Amino acid sequence: MGTDQSDVLRGTLDLLILKTLTLEPMHGWGISARMQQFSRGLLDVNQGSLYPALQRLEQRGWITSDWRTTENNRRAKYYALTTSGRRAVGAETANWRRYVEAVELILDIA
Amino acid sequence: MTLLAGFVARLRALFHPTATDDALNDEIRFHLELETEKNLRLGMSPADARRLAVAHFGGVQRVREEHRDVRRLQWIEDFAGDVRFALRTLRRTPALAAAAIVTLTLGIGANVAIFSAVNAVVLRPLPFPAQDRLMVVTEENPEKHWHLQTAAPANLLDWRAGVSDFEDVTGYVDGLGRSTLTGRGDPQILNASYVMGNFFSTLGARAALGRALTFDDTWRGGSHVVVLSDRGWREHFAADPSVVGKSATIDGATFEIVGVMPPSFAYPRDEVDCWQSIGWDKTKTGNVSFRRAHYMRAVARLKAGATQAHASAQLQAVVDRLKREYPETNKFMGAAMMPLHDYLIGDTRLPLLILLTSVGFLLLIACANVGNLLLVQAAGREREAALRLALGAGRARLIRQALTESLVLSIVGGACGLALGWAATRALVHLQPRDMLRVRDFGVDSSVLVYVVAITVLSAFIFGVAPALWTRHRNPSDSLKEGGRGAAHGRGVRRWGDILVVSEVALALLMTVGAGLLVRSFLQVRRVDAGFDPHGLLSASVELNARYDTSTKVTAFINSFEERVRAIPGVTAAALESNRPFNGTGYTSDFIAYGRPEGGYGTEIGNRSVTPSYFATMKVPVLRGRTFGPEDRAGSTPVLIINEALADSYFKGQDPIGQRIALDKVPTPKSTWYTIVGVVGSEHTDALDVAPRIEVFHAESQEPREFMVVLLRTNGDPAALTPALRGVLRDLDPTLALAEVAPVERLRDQSLARARFLTTLLFAFAVIGLLLAVVGVYGVLAHVSRNRTREMGIRIALGAQAAQVRWLVVQRGLRLTGLGLIVGGGVALFATRAMTKLLFNVAPNDPLTMVGVALLLAATSICAAWIPALKASRADPSVALRAD
Repeated sequence: MGTDQSDVLRGTLDLLILKTLTLEPMHGWGISARMQQFSRGLLDVNQGSLYPALQRLEQRGWITSDWRTTENNRRAKYYALTTSGRRAVGAETANWRRYVEAVELILDIA
Repeated sequence: MTLLAGFVARLRALFHPTATDDALNDEIRFHLELETEKNLRLGMSPADARRLAVAHFGGVQRVREEHRDVRRLQWIEDFAGDVRFALRTLRRTPALAAAAIVTLTLGIGANVAIFSAVNAVVLRPLPFPAQDRLMVVTEENPEKHWHLQTAAPANLLDWRAGVSDFEDVTGYVDGLGRSTLTGRGDPQILNASYVMGNFFSTLGARAALGRALTFDDTWRGGSHVVVLSDRGWREHFAADPSVVGKSATIDGATFEIVGVMPPSFAYPRDEVDCWQSIGWDKTKTGNVSFRRAHYMRAVARLKAGATQAHASAQLQAVVDRLKREYPETNKFMGAAMMPLHDYLIGDTRLPLLILLTSVGFLLLIACANVGNLLLVQAAGREREAALRLALGAGRARLIRQALTESLVLSIVGGACGLALGWAATRALVHLQPRDMLRVRDFGVDSSVLVYVVAITVLSAFIFGVAPALWTRHRNPSDSLKEGGRGAAHGRGVRRWGDILVVSEVALALLMTVGAGLLVRSFLQVRRVDAGFDPHGLLSASVELNARYDTSTKVTAFINSFEERVRAIPGVTAAALESNRPFNGTGYTSDFIAYGRPEGGYGTEIGNRSVTPSYFATMKVPVLRGRTFGPEDRAGSTPVLIINEALADSYFKGQDPIGQRIALDKVPTPKSTWYTIVGVVGSEHTDALDVAPRIEVFHAESQEPREFMVVLLRTNGDPAALTPALRGVLRDLDPTLALAEVAPVERLRDQSLARARFLTTLLFAFAVIGLLLAVVGVYGVLAHVSRNRTREMGIRIALGAQAAQVRWLVVQRGLRLTGLGLIVGGGVALFATRAMTKLLFNVAPNDPLTMVGVALLLAATSICAAWIPALKASRADPSVALRAD
């Protein structure tokens, strides 16, 4: 697999979702809300793109999902990290750091 | 587990797309509700809150589609990506790819060919309805050492009447007879099968035109009827659609053609032209001969729901009753049954299984070689793998990538192998000895395709798993630190390489020992003296027809035929006898010498009629007494000549000349007592690898037979006599046909054809296996010594002699080969026992073969090790030390 731009963006979103889920199992809206909150509103992710990403992560086996009832007695799909997902957060974070470092190096030189 | 969960999710999505869609809709609705609520809390109007929520979400439909794409396509895309990557990699290393593909093509091709044969012969059911209910019922007689024997008609009919689990029992004569068709141009030979009338209904066959025979046709009636096979109909009756009802002159008698069978029904042999009724005389079923002559192959159809065990018990009850009722013929006569399919596979099963094992080993060796190639390549690509790991590719992803590469190689190899195998099955059909595989149709059917796919995937896994696991074990940071070269030194690669070499050598040893044993056995058989001289002999058979209805006429024909044949220019000797060479014996009987106590009889004596010149023509030595002469005529003292095998066994320590024997177990006043006038050398009448049977010879003049074989000896090419021989017969009687014209040497070769076929195939596979194994040994050692160039350089720099360095490499090769030989040899000691039945005068653990093969393998691997060893010893210390 090549690493084109969309891959980078996709990877970023994946990493953010995984990181968010390290706190606790959450439903989709919860994840988007939490991400916004953490980034102090700087990162305004297109909420719709969250769902394909969740699906992708589930397929990789990094998260699992199940339908649960919320405090307000509504049905929602909750996502939780798996063990390998938890490992992946570490690896992906490291990757991201390396990537950012590399990009910054280049930006500094250029 | 997580991979599995992901897989399950994908499967669910694949099979329940709408369910997942619904779930997604629910999820989106929930999301929008919460978002709207949040907006409301921020003080928006309900309409704005909702609109903003949707806008923020960004196109519900687009999300839905994207979501669906991820669900369905991700893995396909990944796979396609892997395949593209694999193809790119392989294109980068075309030599490696070509070597791997050729190796796999050979391995898979051989498997396809042999499996097709196994499939056609063993796995595919017989082309009869409810064929699993068809049983062969055989007679078993411990006294005569009979096993799987054909049945006596009376016994067969008693089973039919007495076993209620049988829906029906029918019978046919095992081989095909020769009938002469006249009145349609030149006399033509029809391959005729003699059957009971219920033959067709029991097997479940219906006529394509007209009718098949019925049970009533079993008995000799007023008119003769015949049923044509599709082949007979096309070849001899020009596929005439109105042939039913017409008459044909067969063996001088008029037959009505009552039906034509469809092409799908050609039983008991593919070459059958017509079926005729066995034509028993209903008034003579009480005769003792009806229970004494065993010549019907009995086939029973079990009733639906009846078990073989239950029917067997019923059969035993009938057999026990017959033993009591007919002690003279049935005292020791047992019966057994087995599925018809098993019976027909018979002795083809073992050779096929051995061939299948052999090609299985071949494929394993091929896989080991390809695995080794890929492993070396994977080690060389260590740095690339490490980089990709560092850049965030999952290890699972890398393993999958490696396996995909193997799979791509394997699929290309599998496709080529399928093509090669298909071509090889064509060749097999033509090369197989007549009837060995029973079928002429090896179509690559769905079972073969499934098999190809299975072995292709399995091979990919076998040779792909080492490189794949290799990727897994490595720590990326180590590899990167080692500068990409270190990996090649890694113990992992070396250990895997060692394991591959040892297994290859062991497998090659097994294959070669198996082939070696067969070759040895074959050479032993070829050395066997037939007891007569087949060189320069021509044989042909003639069957007399209804015009020769008295023994005087038969004898007159024989005398003038022999005289005229002898007069053919180039013929140095000629004779007639009642048997074809290397074709078994006509019939056997019990016998007893005059004056022996009751019970002093012998069994299973072969019985032939020959003209006086037989022994001189065949160059069979007369050991004692005399041969037949003009004094042995019809009406004079009945005489016999016996062979040495009989003299040495039954007459051990006595002079047989002048003794009299009867061909009965218990002589009666009606028995004929024959005086023994001579003893001749024993002949291998069945095949070279079957010991000569005990035999007696009648004088043709005293026991004329209607079927005879003419033998001509010449100093030139025997086949060249054929036209003259045909001319002689045509002049003598144009209604008779000459059949089975063949040089006797060819008959001898045919009797060896099966052994030759099997030996040749196994030998070819063993040679390929051996070559692949040698290449494997070379490959591993070359790789290892290449990566030790630096070390070798240092050693040489420190004063090591070239010989010492060479020895280092060769020693390693020898150690691995030795280990392989020990493992393979240990297995071979036990495994070759399965071949015992196929070996002639060779023990399955024949030390000569074992040691010879081991030495051969050791020698070839030393050669394989020598080249890398030579290179290593030439390592230039300065270059080696500077390198990298």
